Amino acid sequence: MKNCDLTVKIGKMVLKNPVIVSSGTFGFGEEFEDFFDLNQLGAIIPKGISLKPMAGNPPPRIFETEGGLINSIGLQNPGFQEFIKNKLPYYRHLKTHLIINFFGNTQKEYVELARRFDRIPGISGLEMNISCPNIKKGGIVFGVDPQMAFPLVRAVRKATRLTLIVKLSPNVTDIALMAKSAEEGGADALSLVNTFRAMAINIHSKKPELGNIIGGLSGPAIKPIALRMVWEVHQAVKVPIIGIGGIMKAEDAIEFILAGASAIQMGTANLINPRAGIEVIQGIRKYFIQNKIDRIQKLIGAFG
Amino acid sequence: MPFQIDGTVRKNRRIQSLYFILGVHCPPIANHIKPGQFIMLKVSEDSSPLLRRPFSVYKNYPENHPEKEKRGCLFIYYKKVGKGTQKMTTLKKGQKLNLIGPLGKGFTLPPLPSSANIILIGGGVGIVSLYPIAEALKNRKLFVFIGGKTQDDILCLEDFKKFNSKISVSTENGSLGYRGTVVDLFSSQRKLFGKNGKYYIYSCGPVAMLKALAGIVKFKNFICQVSLETRMGCGFGACWGCVIKTNHPRTPYQRVCKEGPVFSLKDILWE
Repeated sequence: MKNCDLTVKIGKMVLKNPVIVSSGTFGFGEEFEDFFDLNQLGAIIPKGISLKPMAGNPPPRIFETEGGLINSIGLQNPGFQEFIKNKLPYYRHLKTHLIINFFGNTQKEYVELARRFDRIPGISGLEMNISCPNIKKGGIVFGVDPQMAFPLVRAVRKATRLTLIVKLSPNVTDIALMAKSAEEGGADALSLVNTFRAMAINIHSKKPELGNIIGGLSGPAIKPIALRMVWEVHQAVKVPIIGIGGIMKAEDAIEFILAGASAIQMGTANLINPRAGIEVIQGIRKYFIQNKIDRIQKLIGAFG
Repeated sequence: MPFQIDGTVRKNRRIQSLYFILGVHCPPIANHIKPGQFIMLKVSEDSSPLLRRPFSVYKNYPENHPEKEKRGCLFIYYKKVGKGTQKMTTLKKGQKLNLIGPLGKGFTLPPLPSSANIILIGGGVGIVSLYPIAEALKNRKLFVFIGGKTQDDILCLEDFKKFNSKISVSTENGSLGYRGTVVDLFSSQRKLFGKNGKYYIYSCGPVAMLKALAGIVKFKNFICQVSLETRMGCGFGACWGCVIKTNHPRTPYQRVCKEGPVFSLKDILWE
């Protein structure tokens, strides 16, 4: 049983294990190289990239709540050109999958970015963000309206042969409906969920705790809701699901897999314990051995 | 190159009012940390509080230090203010704590001309991160300004007396020294330094204090490095949560944890 098989297939990618580090919580990867070997991860997703550089939101940008973290970073990033010139060379020797998270203000920008990334060697997949709660245009209008999401995903699908993952917002009435329209649009996989719109007020200054007033809540506080959404989507679609939401330890990851996720992303946990991803891989392996599971496929959606 | 590593609590003692000193045995960090760098501490094993907390290092003793019991140890000051620091007060000698450090870019301490006036200005617990500068420049005459809300918030007074220093103290309620902020105090004494020569100012304190300082040290003969305190997510550059606005041409929002915590005061754009 020592050789339990953790490999999973997401679109055209075969991941050595189901643990991916989430966009926006892993910097550009290099920030973590002092702590562990990045190649141990199933895949890495650097900070989301837009066509033009983005300055991000005014500080304060983060606020801790009970078991959670509200952030309003505002998708600060150097833009496509700078990313290609200054960040991409770092991944040249990477021996795991590089998935690029990207977003645009318009359908044209999404398509343009997908087309540009498609030509660049070394990229395994694209994760399109239609769900960031921190930017008025940056994705969220597409992410809450299935009638807008479908043509957007379809247009991006036509622009790339790479594995296409659509990252869904939880700030919707029916996430299964959103998932279906992304699947029909041609997504190879769905990642869910992004953060929940949230806020906090300082009662002494009577001011918002975040410069942007509203941010997105992540961390253990959102895990049960994210888990429910993964299960709902699992019942509604056929494409693989990448579960996200407050996963801190292997037990959390296994719960998501049982609910229907083929892989998982770690987000907030990376900020607290930079080695969280590899500790989860070790924990999943241990669970497999203890429970005599030889293949992860036997576990996906296997609850109840 | 930061380490993520367990340290062992050696000392955890209340110093005055709400202020405590925590000593941790952690040789890799104690060996390498430079003035102005900081560590991130996981205060509790559960998720309350969830994030690590940043602390600047007050004293560190490399493994080759002559005093055997201090070897490989680092000491931080903390103020009991929230649930994280409340939990810290319960840490016992021998307990393990997870640390990440050394982090950030510390103070730059070039060989200073003999005509230089060296000035340290610390607000509240901020004075602690200036202590390593005093140690590094111990043969020089230092002008030290220490401020706090009340006399209970005046830290490290005895420490700075060891050096060739002129110490001035301010409290906002007037319970000790000058009544007012430490920036008001410095401003009131500025004439004493004369108009010639360069002023090398090292400062640490709340953002409002540094903003006030920026308002009075606009002249070219002031070379001012400040260490910032902002809310931090990770401490090692991954989340971009701790930023401050600067005059950087391409990336105005710079990370306090990575490009800082020490910045040249003139580069900061106050909002």
